[in-house]
Amino acid sequence: MLQFLIRRLSGAVVIMFLIGAFTFFLFYSIPQDFAQLACGKNCSPENIAVIRENLGLDKPITTQFWEFMMGIVSGRDFPQGHCAAPCLGVSFDSGDFVWDSIMDRFPLTLSLTVGGLVIFLLFGLGTGLLAAWKRGTAVDKIVSGASMVLSSFQIYFLGPIVLGLLVYQTGWFENPKYVPFTDNPGSWFVGMLIPWAVMATIFTAQYTRMARSTMIEQLQEEHVRTARAKGMRQRYVFFRYAWRGSLIPIVTIIGMDLSALLSGAVVTEFTFDLAGIGRLAVEGSLTKDLPLTMGVMLFGAFFILILNIVVDLAYAYIDPRVRLA
Amino acid sequence: MKPIRTRTVRAIAVAIAAGSLALTGCSNDSGNGNGKDDSKTKEDAKAQSKPVSYGDVQASNGPAEAVPGAKTGGTINVYQQSDLSHMDPGQIYVSDAGQFANLIHRGLTNFQEDDKGNLTVVGDIATDSGKSSDGGKTWTYTLKDGIKDEDGNVITSADVRHTIERQYSKVIFDGPTYVQTWLSGSDYRKALPDGPYKGKHLPDSVLETPDEKTVVFHFKAPQPDLPQALAMAGYAVVPEKQDTKEKYDKAPASLGPYKIAEYKAGKSLKLVKNDQWDEKTDSVRHQYVDGYNFTNTIDQASQTKRLLADQGEAKNAIQFTDSVDPAQLSTVIGDASAKKRTIQGYQVYVWALSFNLDSATMKDKKIRDAITYAIPNQSMVQADGGRYGGEVAGGLLAPTLPGFDPKYDPFGKLKKPNGDPAKAKQLLEEAGFKKGTKLSYAYSNTPRGQAQMVIIKDALNKLGFDVQAKEIDRATFYEQVGKLKNPYDLYMTGWGQDWPSPSTVITPVYDGDLVADGAPNYSHIDDAKVNELIKKAVTQEPEEAAKTWEEAHHRIVEGVNPSAPVYYSKQLQLYGSNIGGARFSTESSYIDINDLFLKQP
Amino acid sequence: MTTLTKTEGERAPSGSEAFLSVRDLRVRFSTEDGIVKAVDGLSFDVERGKTLGIVGESGSGKSVTNLTVLGLHNPKTATVEGEIVLDGKELVSATEKEMEKLRGNKVAMIFQDPLTALSPYYTVGRQIAEPFMKHTGASKREAKARAIEMLDKVGIPQPAMRFDDYPHQFSGGMRQRAMIAMALICNPDLLIADEPTTALDVTVQAQILDLLKDLQQEFGSAIVFITHDLGVISKMADDLLVMYSGRAVERGSVREVLRAPQHPYTWGLLSSMPRLGGDTAQALTPIPGSPPSLLNPPSGCPFHPRCGFTSEVGGNRCSTERPELPEGRSAACHLSGEQRSTFFIEQIKPRLG
Repeated sequence: MLQFLIRRLSGAVVIMFLIGAFTFFLFYSIPQDFAQLACGKNCSPENIAVIRENLGLDKPITTQFWEFMMGIVSGRDFPQGHCAAPCLGVSFDSGDFVWDSIMDRFPLTLSLTVGGLVIFLLFGLGTGLLAAWKRGTAVDKIVSGASMVLSSFQIYFLGPIVLGLLVYQTGWFENPKYVPFTDNPGSWFVGMLIPWAVMATIFTAQYTRMARSTMIEQLQEEHVRTARAKGMRQRYVFFRYAWRGSLIPIVTIIGMDLSALLSGAVVTEFTFDLAGIGRLAVEGSLTKDLPLTMGVMLFGAFFILILNIVVDLAYAYIDPRVRLA
Repeated sequence: MKPIRTRTVRAIAVAIAAGSLALTGCSNDSGNGNGKDDSKTKEDAKAQSKPVSYGDVQASNGPAEAVPGAKTGGTINVYQQSDLSHMDPGQIYVSDAGQFANLIHRGLTNFQEDDKGNLTVVGDIATDSGKSSDGGKTWTYTLKDGIKDEDGNVITSADVRHTIERQYSKVIFDGPTYVQTWLSGSDYRKALPDGPYKGKHLPDSVLETPDEKTVVFHFKAPQPDLPQALAMAGYAVVPEKQDTKEKYDKAPASLGPYKIAEYKAGKSLKLVKNDQWDEKTDSVRHQYVDGYNFTNTIDQASQTKRLLADQGEAKNAIQFTDSVDPAQLSTVIGDASAKKRTIQGYQVYVWALSFNLDSATMKDKKIRDAITYAIPNQSMVQADGGRYGGEVAGGLLAPTLPGFDPKYDPFGKLKKPNGDPAKAKQLLEEAGFKKGTKLSYAYSNTPRGQAQMVIIKDALNKLGFDVQAKEIDRATFYEQVGKLKNPYDLYMTGWGQDWPSPSTVITPVYDGDLVADGAPNYSHIDDAKVNELIKKAVTQEPEEAAKTWEEAHHRIVEGVNPSAPVYYSKQLQLYGSNIGGARFSTESSYIDINDLFLKQP
Repeated sequence: MTTLTKTEGERAPSGSEAFLSVRDLRVRFSTEDGIVKAVDGLSFDVERGKTLGIVGESGSGKSVTNLTVLGLHNPKTATVEGEIVLDGKELVSATEKEMEKLRGNKVAMIFQDPLTALSPYYTVGRQIAEPFMKHTGASKREAKARAIEMLDKVGIPQPAMRFDDYPHQFSGGMRQRAMIAMALICNPDLLIADEPTTALDVTVQAQILDLLKDLQQEFGSAIVFITHDLGVISKMADDLLVMYSGRAVERGSVREVLRAPQHPYTWGLLSSMPRLGGDTAQALTPIPGSPPSLLNPPSGCPFHPRCGFTSEVGGNRCSTERPELPEGRSAACHLSGEQRSTFFIEQIKPRLG
């Protein structure tokens, strides 16, 4: 176990480094002058030279890369002040420390993810299990049909409809907005309710379908039949034997969705005018803001890698045949 | 004022929520609807184009004239689709930050606007708009009493000197450079490489502060436009004690009626009353509301939807520098109650099709004229929001500039807004044009750029050209076409004035002495006559200068034709039903931020 | 080992001796393509302590029959008609709850592939102990002790240590032993073994068969032993039922059926099976054709399209008239008794070597 963690974590560090290097040099492979981009209106050669120096673009590329990577480990100093480790540099565009920008946006992304996750796991898995339990009946058909329709919806389609209905038409809700949980849990909850509901609706439908189909598949398994042949109660067989087998694909998908959501729910954020990691990522790439893009990429990669390890640990917990080595 | 490079980039970033665009795509204002055309026309532009007058002590004294019916209290919500580009006044050169600067920053001078939109330059922290002597080479300003920063420190002439001198340092690189250049030449940074930060100052022969209240500028040449230049946010005061250099951009000290209470980069900004601001010292600004809450993450489509619905907090909300979503224009115009809540007017931008005069094909003026005749200007406007988004342009100066002549139309666009292909073909024949000549047209990959590309390509292919459309990433468009040796023949570019004088358009864009990599002279025009007229005009007093500028303008459009005039851009903004005092500001071409109040606080 | 299966005629009014009595069982599945007659009018009896072997190709309905006995068919797609009487109790109409009480308790089942039939997620011990706790209300500790005892009985070395192992840590043979331990833990009166040795190699197969026989003697259970392997049947069963296309085509004691088979299908089965000590030069003769579709079974005798003796029957009876299976030692065939013994002795037996 310890060996597994050491091996996987060190692997993750290597991958992060490679992602960083790849992004960095990919950015530089596009023939463009970042100083020009960062320059607003007055792009005289003198001003560009000043910007180049301010951004550290006058140094060789490899030095810039090395300083960036070292900053993550040991921090860096900028005209704006000291940027403590893990320092992801200074945004070309806004001049903010990238780490601070990410940390500023992360609470929203985390709230969106956790709240959405709770809802769609509860409803998605719940309805999926119900449909599998009642397979072939009217309940199953209604649930399957509804989830089929809902999962073909998109957030950018459903979002504006819900907003139009609950906010613009009736005025029952205020526009979604993020209030830190620590400021006011009530406002936090109310402000996030519509984004959660819309995001969760689409995810719920996907989880319903997945839970139903994996459960039905598991119920065909011979060992499930064996359990019934032993005289175990149907509910017991359902929740112990079939459910346990369904967990592997479900956990896999949860891991993937979670890491995707934590690295930014772009469409949800733009649909509801929220500022999370996703908006940051889009801003970074559209303004060709190298440090910001690097930072967001590495931040996202961090979650993907960590969740991969967590999912593998979960596999080992769920299925004794899986060995951590 | 080029249309805000980083701004546009971010604005378009938001279009990523692409589904909503697709859904509403069919509701575009097509210009042939049966609704009455209420869009602003050139008649309205007259008020917008009267020459600026320079105000005296009387005009500069506070308090500002009260807005009829104004109440105090409440908070105005501000919708923005992206964060302000800068808050350090020295770095402010683009309009969103300029609009913001009016709330918290103050400079030596400011624009005062009457209800017809006529502009007067008044003293802001100075007692008047400035006294010139020595034929306009020396300008003297005296500071008003009672000007303090948000911490109660009295502003002195040393702070003004500091403000100017810090622009020489590397801390400042995004702001305007007019005053520095006038004082110390185009390589002004060499005159004071570290700014004022290492204890050095400009010599008294350049910038003099004989006492705590007096500032004297000594220029090498007459600078009649100085009072207007100093009214730019870029020259607002940064008190020496408050200057935190690079950090100042995130936390500037206020002199104006509001100050920053909380700022979250990229997300939100909260302004509250600045109790050190004294209305008696200010003839322009009011302090009716208790504060402003900016949300900087709401895209144009959402802003419009929210304000259309006019529910809850949206009643107290305004669009700050963003406009009504083009896709929802017809809804806004068609809804009587919403239409009452709009402000409209001309923006300062003129869109032109710039010809790369270094390209072999483009060297022939007849070909340039032919293309100019052929462009279907009206269709180009349709691609940018229709008649509420723009208006066919006859010349290269916007209706917002003094001396604007609505009848000036050398290419007959008023009669044939969709182009004159017959005339174009005739000119091409005269030029000995070969069918199938390749033309490389560069365009930005924004929805507008793409829509306009189709129009241009179609029109020019019909003439017999073989148009090669080259898409450029929106973030790097101006960088690519701004290169002297760019490989393109033509491209759409936009530029707007910095203050209501043609000098801020013709000089940067059409002065042959300023052709350089990254400079906004996109056509690389270098015409001896134009250059000469520019030199003459910049030293003249406004009345006289106006004539010279007009001559230069005509010479450019008719004599050289480096860029085909396409359209003037227009502004349409929405605000909530509880907002009082809303009006279009000629000066900012946005909602006038100085007069707003809440009807029911 | 030669006791006859009681036929209806000899049987006392209502199943006095037969522990399990199946009468005219019909199982139909409705599928998208139509109705599948998986079992079509099957009758048999099993006595306590005896073993009934059921042979037939795959798809002949042998597994379905036994799943139906346990009520493990899908009630939504399957229709069951006829009678299944277990120890005097009618099962076709029994509720799920009543069936749960029977399963694993009175009737237990051993499946073909012990790898897939055991859950990979739980320990072998837990899976064995579970039914004991459920049916006897024993505590966890008691169940564990009992499970270890059973593991020991089926020949798992160090059973207490292996209790906490997972199925993947067992070898194939051990897993099947564990399955047997699981099936027998509640001392069932009837054990249904569905091809329990097919997935195992030959030496392990023999060990498992011996184990089953020993345990049958110890517990006195009746066994229904399903296989397609006549060699295994000859070792295990007392009586034999040959199934084809959802029907029984021949029945009798193992000795009778194997020594003097009467149905051409049984002849085919025997001819296609290698024999130990048989003439290796003697070629195996597979039954021509393929098993009939259950969706659309052939008219008349379902075996007639593959049968080489239809011409010996007058007219086209084989393709028009379905032969009945008379009671007792019998075969469902239109050939006369004489013809059957003549053909077997003259044409089939020599080939069996």
